[in-house]
Amino acid sequence: MAQPLTTASVPTDIYGGDEVSALVLDAGYCSTRAGFAGEDVPKSVLPSFYGSIKDTNAASGSRNVFGEDYLFARPDFEIKNYMSRTESVVEDWDTAVQVWESMLLDRLQPERRQTQPSKNGLNDGADGEGDVSMEDAAISAENAENAEKPLAESPLLMTEAPWNQGKAREKAIEIAMENWGCPAFWLSRTPVCAAFAAGKASALVVDVGGANTSVTAVHDGMILKRSIQKSHVGGIWLSNQIRSMFDSSDPKIEVRPSYMIESKVPVDAGAPSQAVLRKLNYELHPSYRAYEDERLLTEYKESVVEVWRGPGRYSNPGNEDLVKTQPGRIFEMPDGSNQMWREQRFRVSEGMWDETAQLPTASEEERITKAQTVPELIRACLNAVDVDLRPNLLGNIVVTGGTSLLNGFNDRLNNELMAMYPGMRVKLHAAGLTTERRFGAWIGGSILASLGTFHQMWISKKEYDENGAGIVEKRCK
Amino acid sequence: MSGQQGKWKEEQVLVICPGSQTTLAQLGCNELTLPSHRLPTRMFKDPDTDDYLPYHTYKRKKATAAANGGGDAAKPEDDDEFEYVEDRDSSEGAIYPIQRGRIVNIYHNTPIVLMASPQWTRGDNEIIARFIFEKTKTPALCLMHSAYAAQYGLKWLNMTVVDIGYEKMDVSCIWDSNLVAHKSLDYFTPGLEAGSNVLTKKLHGLLKDKGFTLDMCEQLKKSPLAEVLPYVATAKNCMELPDEDVAAEASAQFAVEAPRINEPTIAASSNAVDAENGIDDKVADEGVLDVANIVTSGNTREFLAKKEKEKAERAKAKHRKAQEAEAAANRPARLPNAKRKTNLFHYEETVHEDVQVPLSNGAPKPESAAPPATNGDGAAAAEPMPKVEGDAAAAPAPPAPTAETVTDVLPFAPEATSSVTERRTKRIRKDIEVGLERFLFVEREYIDQVARLIYNTIQSIPELSKRPDCWNNIVFVGNGSRLRGLKENVLQTLISHYLISPSTATMFTSELPSNMATPTGTGSQTPTGSTSGSLPLGQMPLPTTSSVNPLLQAATTASLGVPGTATADAHASHQSHAQTPTSIKLAQLPNYLQDWSKAGYEEAHFLGALVAGRLVYCVHPGNDMQDAQRLSSLSRVDYNEHGPKAIRKHCLMP
Repeated sequence: MAQPLTTASVPTDIYGGDEVSALVLDAGYCSTRAGFAGEDVPKSVLPSFYGSIKDTNAASGSRNVFGEDYLFARPDFEIKNYMSRTESVVEDWDTAVQVWESMLLDRLQPERRQTQPSKNGLNDGADGEGDVSMEDAAISAENAENAEKPLAESPLLMTEAPWNQGKAREKAIEIAMENWGCPAFWLSRTPVCAAFAAGKASALVVDVGGANTSVTAVHDGMILKRSIQKSHVGGIWLSNQIRSMFDSSDPKIEVRPSYMIESKVPVDAGAPSQAVLRKLNYELHPSYRAYEDERLLTEYKESVVEVWRGPGRYSNPGNEDLVKTQPGRIFEMPDGSNQMWREQRFRVSEGMWDETAQLPTASEEERITKAQTVPELIRACLNAVDVDLRPNLLGNIVVTGGTSLLNGFNDRLNNELMAMYPGMRVKLHAAGLTTERRFGAWIGGSILASLGTFHQMWISKKEYDENGAGIVEKRCK
Repeated sequence: MSGQQGKWKEEQVLVICPGSQTTLAQLGCNELTLPSHRLPTRMFKDPDTDDYLPYHTYKRKKATAAANGGGDAAKPEDDDEFEYVEDRDSSEGAIYPIQRGRIVNIYHNTPIVLMASPQWTRGDNEIIARFIFEKTKTPALCLMHSAYAAQYGLKWLNMTVVDIGYEKMDVSCIWDSNLVAHKSLDYFTPGLEAGSNVLTKKLHGLLKDKGFTLDMCEQLKKSPLAEVLPYVATAKNCMELPDEDVAAEASAQFAVEAPRINEPTIAASSNAVDAENGIDDKVADEGVLDVANIVTSGNTREFLAKKEKEKAERAKAKHRKAQEAEAAANRPARLPNAKRKTNLFHYEETVHEDVQVPLSNGAPKPESAAPPATNGDGAAAAEPMPKVEGDAAAAPAPPAPTAETVTDVLPFAPEATSSVTERRTKRIRKDIEVGLERFLFVEREYIDQVARLIYNTIQSIPELSKRPDCWNNIVFVGNGSRLRGLKENVLQTLISHYLISPSTATMFTSELPSNMATPTGTGSQTPTGSTSGSLPLGQMPLPTTSSVNPLLQAATTASLGVPGTATADAHASHQSHAQTPTSIKLAQLPNYLQDWSKAGYEEAHFLGALVAGRLVYCVHPGNDMQDAQRLSSLSRVDYNEHGPKAIRKHCLMP
């Protein structure tokens, strides 16, 4: 069907770049996104969590499986993540390569891996001499080698967290060039991509993701390094707040994901569950339970949690009383127990804005300080940039990331900023489509890589061969 | 542009839906009929060249004796040293170009591909476009996503298409005619299988000790005997196997059955493995299984002469057999299959053999208890069956249907005259009693996997508001979903696992949906006396005494039998849930196409492809639709101009 194109999916052909078959890879802590440049959503989205199955036959004693479909309850199964929770950068490179290859090479497979008749060696004429000069042999061997590399015809654009370190950046280009044989490569910072996705070269990017929230100033397509602010206020932190709330409520609410339930029975609100539980006759690794809990809490966040819109803090007198008169939201657990959530659903998210309102946390690291709340991150970010740039940045605030989809988030952010910067023009740009918010950085990368004018930017294989992995530090600033 | 002015006639459109096993094809989309051609999706490698042939061909060393002549379909080569025989039924050495939904071998025998699986990569589609435009003279190609094809066939704007195929399963959510979510178990998920073939393998695993071949299991699976029992949450493995007592009682009329009642019980509640063993033992003792009586009919030499006569005979035999089978099926107390411990399975097998014609195989149709080795044919055919002699005498099964037989002998080379080596194809029927395996082979894990995939797919739709529509219009397509009871069981499983029930918490509180911007809005809302559009931010409307809570009203008036009020609201009663699913339903299938209603809509994607063929190639679009129509197919003009890459945009793909 000729589906209507969103603004984000600019046809590649009109830029004259009809030979662009670039790939875009955007790895985050919660999910990894990959797809073709020029498209409006990533074709392949996998959780960055993966399963590790004990396998005595395998050399390492275990084998890995990737994709949500594999992550179901089974014996000898552990769930891991190849990204770092605190930094949102790659932690386990070996697995990262496996995940990326399963996405880029298997699922997207830009080139059909089929040996060309000219390359399969059968058609090499036997010239009888048997004397091939060493140089020729070396060149042809190299060509043959490259031709067999899986991405020999696809440039690759990868995104990275703005605080990504030099070593990791070099590793990325090495994998692309050496393992996959990419003809060209580019590494782009997520805030820059998110700004591009919103159609801006300069913006203040507020990225509220799963593991982290970051605030970065982007000017003319470059990040301002000193402005980068980061905190762990994100989706997972919010899940922990919900856990804390469940634990402290009376009676204590137990999180039981659906894999534990055989069938549920409708019960009255607040009544204990009468579900038929599923019996597992094997030991389940706690990491699986944690993963499933997180999925359940995600559903809770989607359907119940709301952000107090302001103006002012939720803890200001009168606000909670007002909320209590309002209809609440019901949430039914997979075990059938259900109850109405009214003022609590505002309370759990308030810690993002007001550190005094946060619920008790399991560990001290989980606790956020005043400087880690969203408004303070923005303030710190703006304070780190030139005074002249601030009005422009405040007028171009790009909100992205999955957790920013919380109901009321943008209203609150707007109210907070208006209160913080009275008299300044504050304008938020948040994509309306859920996918554009969740995949903001990927979409920006997709636009960037499909631009005909971007051709001159790519780091080519030749440059890499001449300069080594260090080229990425020089070029991708 | 060829697609614009010169519209094609409906009769000219070639519609092809390739599957991993069978390709459906038809020329013309003027009538919305069932597919007219079914071809196995496979090619055979020519042993000498690198080409591909549509049929299995093999080399056979010719006997040097002068008496031997060439088979008819053979292509003599090298002065009759070898001959080639086309074997239309064999799948030996077949190359199936589509594995688990994904093209693994790009050589195709199909001239135009219209329906594309979601597993095909962009590169695949380009290669297909190139192949088609280079190898055929087609003026245009419309590549269509299989979920869209199913949607075109079933005409729902929002729906979830569950496509269970041979070795893959796709779940696609379509909302407002756009693909909004898709997940699959296929080529890319090695180790996870949800296609129907995995069930055949399971069945084979259960039955192979009893002499069942994979082919027999496949047939058994397709027969109405194999069934997924209804979902019962409390039962072992969530199914209630037929109770021994009922079955025994039902068959008490057979004296041989009687002792069973006193045997160690195999009640449904006992361990499944035990039950299985129990059956095994009993079967071994009593020789219930493998009662088959193989009789061949016809004699090669006389075959041609007798052909007419045989036809009549065959018809008669079939008729009689049908009657008998029916009688047999009905006799034991006329219980439905699901309530019976055992049931008779009529297996039909095709046997090929090279027959040396001067043979002493004149055995004509013994009615029962045919000794297995009276002739070569019988022996060969009986090979998979360990015991042949133990029929009526030993078998406790009803005697009537046990003796049935070869119905069909098709010589592969009809024109062979005095030839000696001849290839013959026979259909042989056997009746086999099958026990609880026919229910047990669909394991809980399988159903759970299917249900989980559906749940995960629909819940992965980013917009919460789109999910309810997809939950309310679930459609099963693909021939893998034909298995009796499967759809119902999956639906029951989904409901018991995932359905969000209306909560009592909302009973006397306001039912009005939160009027903060929420993504729950499904359009039809209960009346809101308090739309807050004009209220300042953060200030919520307070319920006033004048606005009566409609649910409260409903609850209080329901007992008075006030029509309309209570029922209407009860249905839409939990709007304060943003959670999904609050209801799970199968989509209504169209009933205006009689053929399709009769045959089932498992191949709805083919119907949709026919509809799309009309829309894309035959209908003159209005002005506003011209662009859409142009973009839905790739014409040769565009292909020549832009190359295969143009298929990326000129197609009916998401």
